[in-house]
Amino acid sequence: MTQIEFTVIEKTILSLGILTTFGSFIYEVWRRLRIVFKGKQSFPLDRFGARLWRVFKEVFLHEKVIKGRFWPGFMHALVFWGFIVFGLVTVDHFALGFGHELMNAQTHKLYSYIVIPFSIFVLIGIGSLTYRRFVSRPKALGKISPTSGFVALFISVLMITYLLGETDLSPIVWRINWWIHSLIILAFLFLIPRSKHLHLVLAPINIFFKPFDLPDHTPVNIDLEGSEDELDAMLADLTEMTKNQALDVFSCVECGRCIDVCPANRGGGLLDPKNHFILDLRQPLLDKGSVDVLSEINVEAGWECTTCQACTEVCPVGNQVEKSDEIRRLEVLVEGKVPQEYQKLFMNLQESGNTEGRTDSPLAERLPTYTTDKEYVLWLGCFARYELDPNFTKSVENFANILDVAGITYGVLENEHCSGDPANRLGDKLTYNMLREHNMEQLAHASKVVTLCPHCALNLEKEYAKYSEVNYDVSHHTQVIAQLIEEGRIEVKKGSNGKVTYHDPCNLSRMLDEVDAPRTAINATTDEFFELEESGRNTLCCGAGGGLWWKKETTGRTHLVRAEQVVNSEADTVVTGCNFCYGMMNQGLKPLTPEGRSEIQVKDVADLVSENLVNN
Amino acid sequence: MKIAVLVKQVPGSDSPLPLNSNQSWLDENGISYVMNECDNYALEEALQIKEENGDGEVVVISLGPDRVQKVIREGLAKGADRAIHIQMNSDSIADPLSLGTLFADAIRDENFDLIFSGLQSDDLGMGQTGIIIGEMLGMSTASLAMATELSEGIIKVKRELEAGFFQWVSMALPASITIQSGLNTPRYPSLKGIMGAKKKEINIVTPGSHDVKQSAKKVYVPQSDKRTVMIDGSVDEIVNKLVEVFRNEIKVI
Amino acid sequence: MDILIVIEENNGKVHRMGLESITAAQTMAKGRGFSIAALVMGSNADELATQVSNYDIGEVLKLQHDLLSSYSSDGYAEAVKQVVEKESPKYVFFGHTYQVRDYVPKISAKLMKPFLVDNVLMNSDEEETVFTKQMFNAKLYSDMIAMDEGPLLISFQSAAYSSDNAASGSASVRDVNINLDSSMIKTQSEDPFQEESGGVDLTSAEIIVSVGRGIGKEENIPMAKDLAKVIGGELASSRPVVDAGWLSSTHQIGSSGQSVSPKMYLALGISGAIQHVVGMKGAKNIVAINKDPEAPIFEIADYGVVGDVLEIVPKLSEALE
Repeated sequence: MTQIEFTVIEKTILSLGILTTFGSFIYEVWRRLRIVFKGKQSFPLDRFGARLWRVFKEVFLHEKVIKGRFWPGFMHALVFWGFIVFGLVTVDHFALGFGHELMNAQTHKLYSYIVIPFSIFVLIGIGSLTYRRFVSRPKALGKISPTSGFVALFISVLMITYLLGETDLSPIVWRINWWIHSLIILAFLFLIPRSKHLHLVLAPINIFFKPFDLPDHTPVNIDLEGSEDELDAMLADLTEMTKNQALDVFSCVECGRCIDVCPANRGGGLLDPKNHFILDLRQPLLDKGSVDVLSEINVEAGWECTTCQACTEVCPVGNQVEKSDEIRRLEVLVEGKVPQEYQKLFMNLQESGNTEGRTDSPLAERLPTYTTDKEYVLWLGCFARYELDPNFTKSVENFANILDVAGITYGVLENEHCSGDPANRLGDKLTYNMLREHNMEQLAHASKVVTLCPHCALNLEKEYAKYSEVNYDVSHHTQVIAQLIEEGRIEVKKGSNGKVTYHDPCNLSRMLDEVDAPRTAINATTDEFFELEESGRNTLCCGAGGGLWWKKETTGRTHLVRAEQVVNSEADTVVTGCNFCYGMMNQGLKPLTPEGRSEIQVKDVADLVSENLVNN
Repeated sequence: MKIAVLVKQVPGSDSPLPLNSNQSWLDENGISYVMNECDNYALEEALQIKEENGDGEVVVISLGPDRVQKVIREGLAKGADRAIHIQMNSDSIADPLSLGTLFADAIRDENFDLIFSGLQSDDLGMGQTGIIIGEMLGMSTASLAMATELSEGIIKVKRELEAGFFQWVSMALPASITIQSGLNTPRYPSLKGIMGAKKKEINIVTPGSHDVKQSAKKVYVPQSDKRTVMIDGSVDEIVNKLVEVFRNEIKVI
Repeated sequence: MDILIVIEENNGKVHRMGLESITAAQTMAKGRGFSIAALVMGSNADELATQVSNYDIGEVLKLQHDLLSSYSSDGYAEAVKQVVEKESPKYVFFGHTYQVRDYVPKISAKLMKPFLVDNVLMNSDEEETVFTKQMFNAKLYSDMIAMDEGPLLISFQSAAYSSDNAASGSASVRDVNINLDSSMIKTQSEDPFQEESGGVDLTSAEIIVSVGRGIGKEENIPMAKDLAKVIGGELASSRPVVDAGWLSSTHQIGSSGQSVSPKMYLALGISGAIQHVVGMKGAKNIVAINKDPEAPIFEIADYGVVGDVLEIVPKLSEALE
């Protein structure tokens, strides 16, 4: 370590360099933040402690970064921790340039015992990541990015120049080395806000402000009695992003994990969440200088989304990726451009209050009617009511049987209309609100609702609550079953269903945050349970969500990707907790089962438990 | 450019079809109604022509009791400018000549350049009303349009023929064309359209006189003596029997 | 005459539905002692007249006119209207073709006489003949009666009567004339043409040959394709075949594919799952071949074969060639 006095000229150049690059850095960040602040709503400050804890886990512990992709994630963590450690070093480095270094020789030496190993870690990290990005080239990372190349180069040179600086160098070499290090840092400052490396600054903030609700789309209040001006204002509002959404766009680190987990993309469809839902909006935001850019979202890609929220779940910088809600509501409410099969669906919902345009439900007639003296409203949902998969009606009856055995009273609503999930996810907020208002009236005297359909549960509990207060509690049937088992109110024995696995429905595991209850129930019935790949909150959607159950033409095989995984798992029985998943498994498994292998049984949790009830 | 679009309200394809007590027609209670499918395409075609033209008027016209105002409003919400409602109890009118007379009388003075209607209705399936109206008003007519091209007072229509053939037919305006499903992609009413429809004019007219020339004596569910005829034997025997069935019973070869 | 049959031509020959109308007329005539005549027109009138005169009817009216050498709705409507006015039959029979749908409503309006269309049944035993047509997408039947003494315009659905049952005989041929000038013809037609269909429009196919998983593997699809070709039908499939990638989704029939109601639906190796059935239950005739005697398809089939599709189909194609 050599000491040197810098000349006045050098100090001047250094000052100018710092001022210009730092100024440019501030300017570019401010330019983007200004646009973000134009966004709708305010940044949430509720659950402050939980937010801080989340930042600690996801930023400092790199929880999502490592979990999603272990080795690249860990390598990135090395670079990140090195970056943290280098903070003090960098400040000291520039202070030295002005002759006022912060650390004395001894402190410097001691600290270097920490920094030197970290700089090696950083070199290892950045080296392997560079190899991955430029040689292995996984699809999700997209085209070769020159800025990434520069960043890799910069980081490497910074580490090397640091290490060199800690050895004995001749004054001239030391000076040159020092200047290289400084210039690289200044170049870095210039580069960061203009590239995805802005995530350095924005990601912790973005993660802090990330909504806890999944998904978190703004409700659309439609006043049919309003004036034309009010209507125009509301419609104009639909193209504007919220502050959180705008911040997301600038925080995106372009890692492509959202693409990796997207069922539509995995099925060979057009949809690419990273670009269609986030990056495509970046330039429009900057060009327009306002948040009025939601109409830029690719329409065709938007119709392919199953709204499963895997993209949002996996994002390491706290983005709410999925934007199908935003683009679909524009297409439906503003443009009137709706695929024909959805037009029929909406008409059915408006005319008959259900997805099939039917008036009779044999299943509903076989079940008791709800009266206020009964404990639960048993909410059926259109899928069960109108037998979208005839086998599922047995599952409903099996659940009713479980309730009977446990002595729990329940009844179905006479005038139950569709919860509105298809209309909600497909953008027809007008029909959705019609159904919601009707159902709220039907539920006015209810206190507890239980349903087998997670889509219904999600809407009744969380989505309706975005519009008005909700006076009832909603449980998914697996939660009730698990509770009954734990409380000993029903007794379940172990049966034989061969090797049993469970497909987590996305609406249940991610959006309702329920992964344990179904497993409690299943494990009570078998010792041969094993987990599928991509299970729990990371489940791969069956392909039926977002209204896609009713979609006619699909460019991909979204509905088969998960079925294929189930077949490959060599399970004998696959259990689900959702009627759509049930239906999709029934459709998807048969064609994919190789010749000679016996068919995989598809069961709902209720089927499994009911079959194995002891006190029947 | 004034374009009339005739729309009919019919039971939906999944609607129950309860018969009335003397089986002369349906019992309206319990039927869920929609706009006739081809009429939807006819309306879309008219709206597209108006939009391409830059100006013009699209008028939806329907005949029936109060409930048909629903499909009229749907037409207005999708972009029609105004509407005419020939208000009458249309239960059991199964006579295209009557309907033709009623419509022709109601719209004669409007002097439409074009009348678009669906090829046939999903309930009666007569497929005549649009042509009859055209004939009564002295217009050119064409049916089964799969595409239209409008220019300088002439309309060219791509008619669908049997066996995958098509034919372009041109005629001077005014013309009455019946439209086949599938020739375009019908729009969904936007929110603005739905709200704006409330303010658009629906002219309610009393029906003129008409003579009923045909009627439904009885409406019933066809008896299906469907018993699956099982064919067995050796492979050759089966094949021969199948050929016979195709030729003599189903008559497709 | 009591019944006048208007014969349509098909490439210079009598259209099959013209012969079916002869059968229909003969059926009615027998019960009521009616006389029958048939009208042929157009540039091939001579050829048509010769053909029709070989059937057991009273006479053949031959109409030739320059302006009738090719079809126009105005020309044909006016011509037939004039013939009907002059000859005053009680009934005028047509086959329910696209052409008839195009011009006969005009005759109805010109004469203010009702056109009872697309009949599948006729009960002419009583004084008041009842004609039955399908309504509500063939879910209901309707018995229609005319409230006019005639001439009544009647069309019959394809295969309501069989052309095979038209009794032969011999009939005289008489020339008829009409007044037609070009000012009466408001349309100009170009030549008919066929289109290279990009996708498969199954909804207009009369015959559909559909394959399910029972076809086994992709290599067996050509066998079904051949059968479709030979029988003059379109190839379709259930969803699992599309999902397996053996056929494109344009062939798919079912709740997430196309809905069809052809004259004949030949289901090969299709189990009859409800998602598929909703797309084809409107077919007029369902013929099912499946290895599994318990397959649900047999519940809705008109004709069923419990057998191996892979054995039967090639032999069937051979027999049909």
